[in-house]
Amino acid sequence: MATKKLRPRATVRRGTAVLAAVSALAILAGCSATSDSGSSSDSGTPSGTLQVLVSSADASDAAFRAINKSFEAKYPKVKVVFSTISNDKYPAAESSRLTAGNVDVLVAKPVQVPSYAKDSEADDARLAESGSFIDLTKQSFMKNYTPSVLSSIAFKGKQYTIPTGISYETGVYYNKDIFKKYGIDVPTTWSEFEKVADTLKSDGVTPLGIGGKDSWPAGLPMLAAVQGQYPTTADKEGVAKNLWNQKTKLTDAKPQAILDTTEKVFGYAQQNFAGVPYSATPGAFAAGQYAMTPDGTWNYPTIASAVASKFDIGYFPLPTSDTAANNQYLTGKVELRLAAASSTKNKTAALAYLKFFSDPTNYKTFVKLSGFAPAEPNIPSGDFLDSISQYTKKFVPAWDQIWVANTKAGNAALFPFNYVSLTPMGTDSAKAAAQQAQQDWAAAF
Amino acid sequence: MTNFYPFPRRGPMRTIFIVGLAVLGVFGLVPAVGVLVISFTDIRGLPNLPIHWIGIDNYLAFFSRAHVGDNLNAIKNTLVFAIVSTVVQILAALGIALLFNQKLRGRNVYRAIVFMPTVLGVTVIGLIWSLIFNPAGGPASSVLKWFGTNSAFFGDPKLALALVIFVQIWSILGVSVVIFLAGLQAIPEDVQEAASIDGATAWQRLRLVTIPMLAPSITANVLLGIVNALQSYQLAYVLTGPNNHATQLLSLEIYVQGFGGTPGAVVSQSQGYASAISIVQFVIVGVISVASLLYLRKREARL
Amino acid sequence: MSNIVTTATAANGPDAQAPAASGAGASRTPGRRRRRPKHIWSYILVAIVLFFYLFPLAFLVNTALKSSAEFAADPVGLVTSPHFENFVIAWQKGNFGAYILNSILYTAVAAGIGTFIGLALAFPVSRGYIKGSAWWTVLFVVVLFLPNALITQFQLLLRLQLYDTQLGYILIMSAGVGVGPLLMNGFIKSIPTELDEAAALDGVGYWRYLVSFVVPLTRPALATVFILQAIWVWNEIILATILLPDQTKSPLTLGLFNFQGTYSNQWTLLAAATMLVAAPLIVAYLFLQRYLVNGVVGGAVKG
Repeated sequence: MATKKLRPRATVRRGTAVLAAVSALAILAGCSATSDSGSSSDSGTPSGTLQVLVSSADASDAAFRAINKSFEAKYPKVKVVFSTISNDKYPAAESSRLTAGNVDVLVAKPVQVPSYAKDSEADDARLAESGSFIDLTKQSFMKNYTPSVLSSIAFKGKQYTIPTGISYETGVYYNKDIFKKYGIDVPTTWSEFEKVADTLKSDGVTPLGIGGKDSWPAGLPMLAAVQGQYPTTADKEGVAKNLWNQKTKLTDAKPQAILDTTEKVFGYAQQNFAGVPYSATPGAFAAGQYAMTPDGTWNYPTIASAVASKFDIGYFPLPTSDTAANNQYLTGKVELRLAAASSTKNKTAALAYLKFFSDPTNYKTFVKLSGFAPAEPNIPSGDFLDSISQYTKKFVPAWDQIWVANTKAGNAALFPFNYVSLTPMGTDSAKAAAQQAQQDWAAAF
Repeated sequence: MTNFYPFPRRGPMRTIFIVGLAVLGVFGLVPAVGVLVISFTDIRGLPNLPIHWIGIDNYLAFFSRAHVGDNLNAIKNTLVFAIVSTVVQILAALGIALLFNQKLRGRNVYRAIVFMPTVLGVTVIGLIWSLIFNPAGGPASSVLKWFGTNSAFFGDPKLALALVIFVQIWSILGVSVVIFLAGLQAIPEDVQEAASIDGATAWQRLRLVTIPMLAPSITANVLLGIVNALQSYQLAYVLTGPNNHATQLLSLEIYVQGFGGTPGAVVSQSQGYASAISIVQFVIVGVISVASLLYLRKREARL
Repeated sequence: MSNIVTTATAANGPDAQAPAASGAGASRTPGRRRRRPKHIWSYILVAIVLFFYLFPLAFLVNTALKSSAEFAADPVGLVTSPHFENFVIAWQKGNFGAYILNSILYTAVAAGIGTFIGLALAFPVSRGYIKGSAWWTVLFVVVLFLPNALITQFQLLLRLQLYDTQLGYILIMSAGVGVGPLLMNGFIKSIPTELDEAAALDGVGYWRYLVSFVVPLTRPALATVFILQAIWVWNEIILATILLPDQTKSPLTLGLFNFQGTYSNQWTLLAAATMLVAAPLIVAYLFLQRYLVNGVVGGAVKG
C-alpha cells in the first residue's frame, strides 16, 4: 500500500511517545509536589516554618530580609519563608493564602469604617472583624510604638497590626540653591506660597514639577489642600461624615476651596505635566528644571541619588491655608502593617517574629534600611527625616487614610475631591469639577 | 449533520476528542461557569465570612444611575479603540506578513524582532513608551520641538486614546503577523503559479488568490483583535493611570470597580460584584465576537 | 495515489523548493527579471518596519544598562557608562537560576497539552465528524474571552487537592488554549478530505492518521499555536502567584516582583530582568522557525 511507504509506524510511535512523555512529566511533577505545612508548636521556643507575606518594595524588602536573617540567627530552629508580591496583586494573594491557610505573618490594613459607611468596609476590615487576625492589643511589644500612631490604626479599640513605619505625603521638595539665588524663604502660608511661585515664574523658573501621567502624584497637592481646610483629624472625620449623610455638599465653600487651591497649584506646575511620568520627575528636578516638586518622603532616596549632591534639598509641608498653624504638620500614612493570621499553624513563631520586629534594636535596623519614618519613639532616622522633625512632631493621618469611598457613587466622587477632572489632567474648571463630583456623589443615595 | 467518517472506528476519535474536552472543560470552562454562579452572591473570597445569595443585586449596582455616565464613556472609548486598533492591526500585520514571507535575507531575524514586544511584559512596554512620549525631553517631544510645537501626549485628553491605540497595535502586531505567516504557508504555491501564468498581476493575485485563502487566519486575527481590544486594560492602566477620563475603557472601568485598582482611594468590592461585571463584559464581548464570527464565516463560505 | 506519497515525504523547507520553482518558472514568467529591483523595495520596507520596532526596543536596552542613579537623573537620555552587570544583578536578585527550570517545565508541558487539545478538538469539528460543528466552533470563539476566573480556579484546585502543586498549575495552564482550537479549525481545512479517505482506505487508523499525516501537514499551524500558548504560560504571573505559593515551584516571572515597588519600580533592574525573562522565548521562537514552514507544498491531490 502506498501510504505504508511513509514512516507511519515510526511517526505513530513517536507521536504516542511524545504524548506519553508529556503526560508522564506532568504526573511526575504532580507526585513530587508536597504542599508545605508549617509545623505547629505551642512550646516556648519558636521552631518550624514561618510564612511571611508582604507587598513588594525594594527598600522594605531588603529591610525585611535583614530582619529575617537576624531572627533565624536568634532562633535557629525557625525557617522564615519570605514572599514578596507587587502591590496591585497583593489583595488576591492575601485572600487566597488566608483561605488556604498557609500564611503566618502578613501585611494587612484593617481600616475602621465609620458607622455611616458600613457597607464600604474593605476586605481587611472584614477579616479583622471576623477574627482572622490575632488580637495584639494586650501583647507586650505593642508598648514600644508611638501612641499617636497606634491610635490612628486602632480597629474598634483593638490592635491587630503593628506599624512598620510612616511616610509623609503632603510635602514639597525644594532646591535650596534656587531659593537662595532668588532670596526666597520657605513659605508658611498659602499667600506666601503664591508669592514664591509668582517670583519664580517671573524669573523664568518653573515653580513646580508634577508627574501627572500616573494620576496619583497629582493627588498629593489635593491632599495638602484638604489639610489646609481641615487641619485636625477630627475636622477630616467630620467632613467625611457630613458628606456621607449629605449635610455637606462637594460644591460647598470648603470643598470648592480645595479644588480651587489644587487648580492653582496645577497652574504653577510645568507645561504638559499631565503627560510626564512619575519616574521622570526626580531627574528633571535634579537638572534644575523646576524649583519644587510635591512628593512623598518615600521618594527621598531616588531624588537624592538623582541630585547627587549637586545642590541641597529641603522639604516643607505645602501650605494651603492662610493660617500658618494649619500648615505646620506633614500629613502621612502608616506604611506596611504586619498582622498575624489566626489560622496560623505556628502561633509561637508568628508572635515571636512580631515581638522581635518591635524590639527597638531590630526596629532600628529596619527603619534604616527601609527608609520609613519610625513608628517608635527615639529611633534615629537619618539626616533627611531628622531635618523635617519639626513637621512630624505629631502624627497626622492624611486625608486618603480617613476617607472611605462610596462604591455606589460615580467615578468623579472617588476621592471625593475631583482633582482628576481639573485641567490639564482633565478638561474641567474647578467649579465644573466640583459640580460633576457632587452629581456623581448624590447619585449614590 | 455529520460528514461521512472514513476511518474504521469512531472510538478513537471520540476518545481523543473527549480527553481534550475534559481537560479544557474541567480546568477552563467549569471555573468560568463558576464565575457566573458567584456573581449572584456577595462572596469575598475570605475565610470565616458567610456567603449570601443576593440574586441580581450585583448587576443592578453596575447599571445604577451613578455609574451610567462613566460606563457610557467607557463604552464609547472602547468601541473606538476596538474598531480602530483591529482594522489597523489586521492591515498592518497582513502587509508585514506578506513582506516577511518573501525570500529575504535574515528574515528569521526580522520576524523575531517584530515578535519581541509580545514577549515583553506590559510594565516595560509602558515604560518604553512613557519615556518616548515624555513631554519633557523624550524623543517625540524633541521632534515636535523642531516643528515649534509641544504636546502633553498621554496627558492630552484629545491625544491620549490615539496614543494608547498606537502602543496597543505596536505590542500585539507580532501575534497577528505570526498567524498570517502560518496562514500563508497553507497556500499552495502552485495555485499562485497558476494565477500568474494566467496573467494576473501581483495585486490581483493578492486580492483574488491570497486573501481568500487566508480567510481562516483573517477570521482568527479579527476575533483575536476584537477580544483583545475589548478585554485588555493593562496597557491603558500602565500608560495613563486608572482615572483618566479620556482613556477609560470598559475593561479598565471593570477592573477599577471590581478589583479596586485605584491607588489613593480605598474601594471595597466583593468578588461577587467583580464577577458580575466580568460576566457583563463577557456578554458584551460575546455578542460582538459571535456576530463577527458569523459575518466572517459567511464571507469565508462565499469564497 | 503516488502523488500523495511523494509530496508528503518532501519535508523540505520552501528554500529547497525555491530553486525548483524559479527554475520551472523562469522560462514561463516574463516578469522574472523584474524581481531584483522589487526586492530592493522590500528591503526598504523592511527597514522602515524594523525602525519602528528597534527604536523603542533600544530604549529598553538603554534603560537596562543604566545605574539607578543615572536613570533617576536622566531617564530618557543615552546611557553614559553602561552597567552590564545589571543583568547579573537582576539574575541574582530575581533568583532566576532557581526558577528557570520550573518555567521551562510548565511552558513545555502546558503548551504541549494545549496544542494537543487544539488538534484533538478542532479536527473532528472542522471535518464535521462530530455532531454540532457550528456549536463547537462557537465554543472555540468563546474560549477566547472567558471571564477572569482566578477565584474559581483557585477554589477548584483547592477542592481537588491540587492547590500548590505543579500538576494543578500545569493543568490550569493547559486549559488556557486561547486561539488554538480556532486556528486549527481553520487550518485543517487546507488538508483535503480526500486524504482522509485515501488513508482510511489504506487501513490507517484515526490516531495514526492524526499523528503521521495531520501533524506534519499542519506543522506551521501547530507550531504557531504552541508558540502563542507558550508565551502566555511563560509570562503568566498572577495565576502563578495565587496557585503556586511555594517558592520552590515558582516560575521565572515571580522573580520580577522583586523589582516592583509600591510607588515606583526599580526600572533599570526591571528592564534588565524583563530582557532576561524574554530571552529564552525569543531563542525558542528562532529555534521553532523551521517548524513554521510547511513541509508539504500543495498539490497533494493532483491527479
